[in-house]
Amino acid sequence: MQKSKKVVILGHFGVGKTSLIRRFVNDQFSDKYKVTIGVHITKKVVTLPTDDTISLILWDLEGTDALEEIRDAYLLGTHGIIFVFDVSRPSTFQHLNSDLKIVAKKVPERPLLVVGNKKDLVPEEELTQLLENHQISFNYLTSAKTGDTVEDVFMELATLLKSDA
Amino acid sequence: MATKTDEQDKLELLKDILFPDDREAVQDISKRIQLLEHLVNDQKLLAAKVDPLVDDKLNSFTKNIPNTLGPTITATLKKEIKNHKDDVVDALYPVLGKMVKKYVAQEIKILSDKIDNQLGFIKRIKRKMRSWFGGPTEEQLLMRELASATIEQVLLIERDTGILKASYSVTNTIDEEMISGMLTAIKGFVEDAFHQKNQNLEQIQYELYNIHLQSFVTHYVAVVISGNYHLKSKNKLQDIIFNFYYNFMAMNLDLVFKSKDPAKAGKEVRTIEKELLEKELAASFGNAKI
Repeated sequence: MQKSKKVVILGHFGVGKTSLIRRFVNDQFSDKYKVTIGVHITKKVVTLPTDDTISLILWDLEGTDALEEIRDAYLLGTHGIIFVFDVSRPSTFQHLNSDLKIVAKKVPERPLLVVGNKKDLVPEEELTQLLENHQISFNYLTSAKTGDTVEDVFMELATLLKSDA
Repeated sequence: MATKTDEQDKLELLKDILFPDDREAVQDISKRIQLLEHLVNDQKLLAAKVDPLVDDKLNSFTKNIPNTLGPTITATLKKEIKNHKDDVVDALYPVLGKMVKKYVAQEIKILSDKIDNQLGFIKRIKRKMRSWFGGPTEEQLLMRELASATIEQVLLIERDTGILKASYSVTNTIDEEMISGMLTAIKGFVEDAFHQKNQNLEQIQYELYNIHLQSFVTHYVAVVISGNYHLKSKNKLQDIIFNFYYNFMAMNLDLVFKSKDPAKAGKEVRTIEKELLEKELAASFGNAKI
């Protein structure tokens, strides 16, 4: 039987949460920035290498600089989390560790992937140096614009959620 | 020289002379053993002797259950209820809901009848006036007032996650899992925004459609209705939802207690097949008149 899992995408304003989902679900990208108000929900059925299928219900939450202000109602029953930051804007990751602590407190013991988006905007060497300087540990670096590594993020989470079921 | 047999015969003769009582006692014991053997082998005879004893024991055991097993049963039940509080509350919710609802509905009906009696005359005049001045005929107006609501879609949704458990639909809509998520987000937002604990969003209205949301502890039921959705329809719909949910929770509780099976320990299976749930939904809501 196909399982459905609730995945929330969190992060500061304008880090590309909606774009990542759009790229993953519809394989599309738009440069026009549209602010997400409240929450937007999309779905994608993923087939894993094991041939199992899993339905990801993606909750794209509005961006916020104060993560503790995220409505608890949106986080209830979350199965997995993707935390996105913008590699081109240090303000979105300079407090990453404390941000992640807040997330872990609000949604404890759930698989969480940390994703640095917009990698296409920063040269690779500079990017490595930047993240090292800020002592940022992450799971993936992606580009919603080019589609680079986007699929991998969701596939890994889907795999984690499947084994979690 | 006397033979061995002669000696034995003489010995027996001597025994007869010396111990006549002993022989009788042996014969008596042998008879008693035969009798006992007969008694044990004949089930009816044995039952007649043993049954009264067993009955006595059983009666005294039954009488003593409150004292002997009572504390253990109470402790086990308490533990089960504590461990599965949500499931138990959820199972009781429709029953209690029905009772409260019936009481309130009864009181409201009395009040409504009183008001109807007062307003009936005015309504009749109003209808006649509307039909006289070129509007629809009085019959059409009456039909419109009486037109019943129709159930278009029913969704059983997990309350926290917004994940769709089962659905029943007459019309085609966009992906039902997305609708479920969005409804849950809207519901969560409204309930959170007004900081009203234990208050639930009950209805969303858009033009000719209404979405009735009936919340329980772990799940909620969303019903999309077209047509004239009024208090009477709501009343009927709630009854159908309560009945369905009661059955659903009964199935759920069965699973909870079945999964206590030690053979399945550690692999708690607590999901009811979607197909089965959808059959239940279709049976409950398919031909329902509200």
